[in-house]
Amino acid sequence: MKPTGTDLLLPQGTTPAAILDVLAARLALREGSTVERDRRFYDTFDGLLRQAGLAFVHESGRSALVSIDGGVEQAASPTPDPPERVFVAELEPGALRDALSAVVEVRALLPLVRIHGLQRAFGVLDGGAKTVVRLVLDEPAVVASRSRRLALAPRIRISAVRGYDRELTRVRATLLDDLECRSVERSELDEALLATGATPGGVSSKVDVALARDERSDVAVASILRRLAEVMEANLPGTIADVDPEFLHDYRVAVRRSRAVMRELRRVFPPAQLARFRIELRWLQEVTGPSRDLDVYVLDLDELRSGLPDPGRSDLEPLLHVLRDRRAIAHREMVRALHSERAAGLRAQWPAFLSELVTLPAEDRPDAPRPIGELAGARIAKVYRRMVRMGGAIDDASPPESLHELRKQGKELRYLLELFGTRLHPGEVVKPLVRSLKSLQDTLGRHQDREVQVDALRSFRDEVVTLPGGAAALMAMGVLIEHLGEDERAARAEFTERFAAFATRRQRALVRETFTP
Amino acid sequence: MSRVLATYNIKGGVGKTSAAVNLAYLASRAGAPTLLWDLDPQGASTYLFRVRPKVRGGVRKLVRRKSDVEKLIKGTDYERLDLLPADFSYRHMDLALDAAKHSTDRLARVLEPLRREYDYIFLDCPPSISLVSENVFEAADALLVPIIPATLSSRTFEQLEELVRGGPQVLAFFSMVEVRKSLHREVMAQLRAAHVTMLGAAIPSADEVERMGVDRAMVAEIAPAGRAAIAYEALWWDVRRRLERAPRSSAT
Repeated sequence: MKPTGTDLLLPQGTTPAAILDVLAARLALREGSTVERDRRFYDTFDGLLRQAGLAFVHESGRSALVSIDGGVEQAASPTPDPPERVFVAELEPGALRDALSAVVEVRALLPLVRIHGLQRAFGVLDGGAKTVVRLVLDEPAVVASRSRRLALAPRIRISAVRGYDRELTRVRATLLDDLECRSVERSELDEALLATGATPGGVSSKVDVALARDERSDVAVASILRRLAEVMEANLPGTIADVDPEFLHDYRVAVRRSRAVMRELRRVFPPAQLARFRIELRWLQEVTGPSRDLDVYVLDLDELRSGLPDPGRSDLEPLLHVLRDRRAIAHREMVRALHSERAAGLRAQWPAFLSELVTLPAEDRPDAPRPIGELAGARIAKVYRRMVRMGGAIDDASPPESLHELRKQGKELRYLLELFGTRLHPGEVVKPLVRSLKSLQDTLGRHQDREVQVDALRSFRDEVVTLPGGAAALMAMGVLIEHLGEDERAARAEFTERFAAFATRRQRALVRETFTP
Repeated sequence: MSRVLATYNIKGGVGKTSAAVNLAYLASRAGAPTLLWDLDPQGASTYLFRVRPKVRGGVRKLVRRKSDVEKLIKGTDYERLDLLPADFSYRHMDLALDAAKHSTDRLARVLEPLRREYDYIFLDCPPSISLVSENVFEAADALLVPIIPATLSSRTFEQLEELVRGGPQVLAFFSMVEVRKSLHREVMAQLRAAHVTMLGAAIPSADEVERMGVDRAMVAEIAPAGRAAIAYEALWWDVRRRLERAPRSSAT
């Protein structure tokens, strides 16, 4: 039942009118409707929809999620005007919201391109005047501005009529062999994006850098850090414009990963510059921290709310007010810092330093010429051993700080594994290690997050109580604090088991064999 | 999510095929994947859709599920509207059903894999009371019963309700109505007063309905603003409304 459409491009040097003329001489055609289509396409900054084979389209007062090839509609909802941005949380509950939410979560959908064009439908008829194949002649153009249109190559879309496969093959052959139409290489959407100079698929925050085990460490480290600097740069405008919380998140992950690399592989850098850039990157991390924390509180509030009995949920409105106000203030302060001369200086000097790193004298950088496979492996083994030692010393009487410290080491290990381990060491060792580490980190993270959330909720109390409905909100917050405390204790109780899975005798032996030079 | 709707009447020539074809067309036009199964060996709806009345393997294989029903389906001139064609062997459908195990739910079983694919499945039934109609009652969520307003139509309707008691929802509507005939007007008033399950919409006896066989087109194409086209749209709206109110059958 799904339309199995194929798009073909017209042969070079012909016009749609000419091709129709030739086609009509070879096939019995019945012209159907002509539709004027005006479609606006959207995707997230990092192209999550396209990765999932989907596109979000606004056309004639409705929004729809469609498959990229064939345009099969997955879900739709009426939307009178084309939106500037689309947030899942702001859509009406229903199929479209559910389908989108599964793919893009908190990311905003941003306008990509507007395609306008006429689509003429034709039926190819058999001897009994019955439609056996459908054709659509599409003449699209990108609407670049009010006065400027960029014509795209016209397309003929062939779709099957069920039960008439032989006819489909025949019509395809006529178009391809006889009329010399060409198969398309890209979707219409990608074609339109390229016409405007944009990149199909959006901007990724992934660190897709190839490394070799015997590569010099300073070369490998510089290429990883340069990529992380690119990720920071790519996410900066969206962070400042506050498009969606993922820009700041990806920005901060890149900063934190860069800092971990500098800490763990410090002997590939000249000490003086290293010290300076570590201070600068820590500063970036600090000035963006409060904004991110408040993003997380706002995002978590929905989840927290679901832990409350139904009547108590709306009582939390005053808390949401306080969070939004504080978030706005924190965002302004962060933007001021990111616009400062200090930030501008760092943006220029950091990549420049990374580019010249390998040319600097090596005397004070003893690890620079060592093969990265060996150096990164040694660091992975070392941090792992440290975690095993720290975790083994934790018992029921240990203070919460001992778990926080272990979590910090866990982050360090995770970055080393993600940035170097997955590229340089055998997957059959790295993957299970990452899995057991993630599971341990989830527990440690929950333990710490709950504690931080409880502290945060307490710190908001004075402000919340002054607002209308404040007393009820305070009571609801009391219930939340209790729930969070319970969950913190549950996470603590899980720790022993998760740590044991992370530090088994077998895993310790594997880490030693794999990563120790 | 699929609904199986059968246009059915014990009598022939009351507008079953016209209703099945035009309602299926309206359903697909509104975006719903729709299938029409032409169960009548005369193949009137198959003819209207310009499809060859041929089912590979014939009725015996089909009801025993020995043929891949999905491969027998043909697309029509209309997007989202597919046809399971008639076949001359359908005239022996009773015998084929009788010879098979579970003889009263064979058609429901044939439809089972298709219910995932189509929002609406219309059954255009031959006029009779037989094992075929028993199967239709078993498979359908609702019967759409065209009734010509005439002296005995009230009786026909009561008989039918008796026949399907406990089975599908019965949605009757007036068909081939001539409003200038006082008899039609009187019978319609009586029936509407007596039967709450009677649908409001009435299909007029109109040129464009008769033209369907000549032009092999839907009334909405022949005379889009004509009385019949509007009456079918009203009928379809009314049917959907009643279906939404009614609980679904266990088969869905």
